[in-house]
Amino acid sequence: MAVRKFLDGLYLWSGYLAALFLVAIALTIVAQIIGRFFGVAIDSTESAGFSLAASTFLGLAYTFRYDGHIRVTLLIRLAKGPMARATELWGVGFCIAAMGYLTYWACDLVYFSYIFGDISPGLLAIPFWIPRSAMALGSLILTIALIDEFIGILRGKTPSYVANSTALFSGEDD
Amino acid sequence: MDAGTISAILFVLMLGLLASGIWVAPTLLAVGFFALEFFSPAPAGSLLASTVWDASWNWALTALPLFVWMGEILFRTRLSSDMFNGLAPWLARLPGGLLHVNIVGCGVMAAVAGSSAVTCATVGRMSIPELKKRGYDEKLSIGTLAGSGTLGLLIPPSIMLIVYGVIAQQSISRMFIAGVVPGIMIISIFMSYVAIRALLNPELAPPQEERLSFMDKVKASRLLFPVVLLIFCVIGSIYGGFATPTEAATIGVLGALVLAWLSKSLTWASFMDSLMGAVRTSCMIAFILAGAAFLSIAMGFTGVPRVLASYVDAWNLSPGMLLVLLTVLYIFLGCFLDGVSMMVLTAAVVLPMVESAGIDLIWFGIFTVIVVEMAQITPPVGFNLFVLQGMTGRDLIQVTRASMPFFFLMLLGILIISLVPELVTWPVEYMIRKN
Repeated sequence: MAVRKFLDGLYLWSGYLAALFLVAIALTIVAQIIGRFFGVAIDSTESAGFSLAASTFLGLAYTFRYDGHIRVTLLIRLAKGPMARATELWGVGFCIAAMGYLTYWACDLVYFSYIFGDISPGLLAIPFWIPRSAMALGSLILTIALIDEFIGILRGKTPSYVANSTALFSGEDD
Repeated sequence: MDAGTISAILFVLMLGLLASGIWVAPTLLAVGFFALEFFSPAPAGSLLASTVWDASWNWALTALPLFVWMGEILFRTRLSSDMFNGLAPWLARLPGGLLHVNIVGCGVMAAVAGSSAVTCATVGRMSIPELKKRGYDEKLSIGTLAGSGTLGLLIPPSIMLIVYGVIAQQSISRMFIAGVVPGIMIISIFMSYVAIRALLNPELAPPQEERLSFMDKVKASRLLFPVVLLIFCVIGSIYGGFATPTEAATIGVLGALVLAWLSKSLTWASFMDSLMGAVRTSCMIAFILAGAAFLSIAMGFTGVPRVLASYVDAWNLSPGMLLVLLTVLYIFLGCFLDGVSMMVLTAAVVLPMVESAGIDLIWFGIFTVIVVEMAQITPPVGFNLFVLQGMTGRDLIQVTRASMPFFFLMLLGILIISLVPELVTWPVEYMIRKN
């Protein structure tokens, strides 16, 4: 199953990339603190903010697969058998629409910041399309993960966010 | 269509989507989209992308993943298993004895774990068997855990306070400082309650015979002190104006790594575990906040919050009355939502109302967090209740009955900060004046 392997790798490695950007937040702050100590002005506001955004969006699919995103399971827990499958399909299907829409407009935002040459306002003055493309890419990967999940549930597989759940007491908390 | 009808439609839509199992963040996006598309002339798509983007690289929010990571690192050290043995020798001689370990242990663990269910479970796993073995009253053991487990939401560096600061556009430093006194106050209220109950009825907490020398006590809590010191440094650097919350959080992460390394619990596997755990939690929260930012902009375009805020004036609703109504609303929402979602979902509508009633937004943040804490132990659905139910094997009614006194003690806490708001605002003003 080359496709399966590729997709799982995609989610996992985008998760690792998200982790790298989380570490990057800390690193730019360390640079700022050390810089201040030696009297060099390093402004981490932008680099930390961009790392945060990249970490959030690239981590979306990984977090989804590991049941990190929260939802209310109070009612859907009551559904059994085919009904349970239908509710999962509805939930995942709805999110495909929402995330597909967000992906489309995120790409639109990246495209126009590239065309208009938007530059970030701080000292870094990075072209805005670069950090913004993390939003487009991350939303796209989550959309792919959702479609993957949808097909999986149709084929009768247990959703990954149920199988990989790390909830404290399974079935008892959300 | 008038604002009342629009808000009713949106509210029903939101509850419907949430109840049918849609994840929280996509629900927020969808409701925001619906509000813009049908009740305003603004373009939904491009507003969606630009608002979500603006919210996701917010400087104030950069402290969040770092504090989460710090907690994840400390959580994986031997801190949690050492908690009981470390605190017990110091607190055993107070009236109420080892029950205080539950309270103080939750207070420390809460500052580390940031989630009340995790706090409750970690401390409880260690202390429930010990307390049972020594013949402590079961109701009080469960109650202290349920009540104190919720402290995590209030004690800085609290994730909830960061989330509130971001959505209400209040300085995170000020939120942290504002949380200190009410946090200590609620711990004191809990401890006094336990002490009084134990003095009235010594059978609840049998006296301890074992006595340790001072050095043995220090030895038993060798991991506890550095952790408390680390938290103290993190808060202190913010309070003293040396560091922004993000810088303090970075120091916290480095300190936590050093502690983990010194206590020999830092391996590559535990490092990756803590990091990936932090990615999951902060990704979830940041995505919800981005969705909430979009919803709040969308609501602004419909004009609903403005109209609802003017109702507060029109009905002559006193601030006190408004707070009572909001308390009821939050406790109701707490039946099926977790704290972050509750705060975020209501912010767009509630904050303008509160502001127009002349309530200080920092004070309101602390108020909200305490009410959200109470909601965690209110039946029929409170996360802490479920955790304790799973751990003690008692049914929900017994767990609830044990937790009820602590629910009312928190209500007392709210009453106190409402009557003496200076408890919250004064340290903040002092910090501003000093720096």
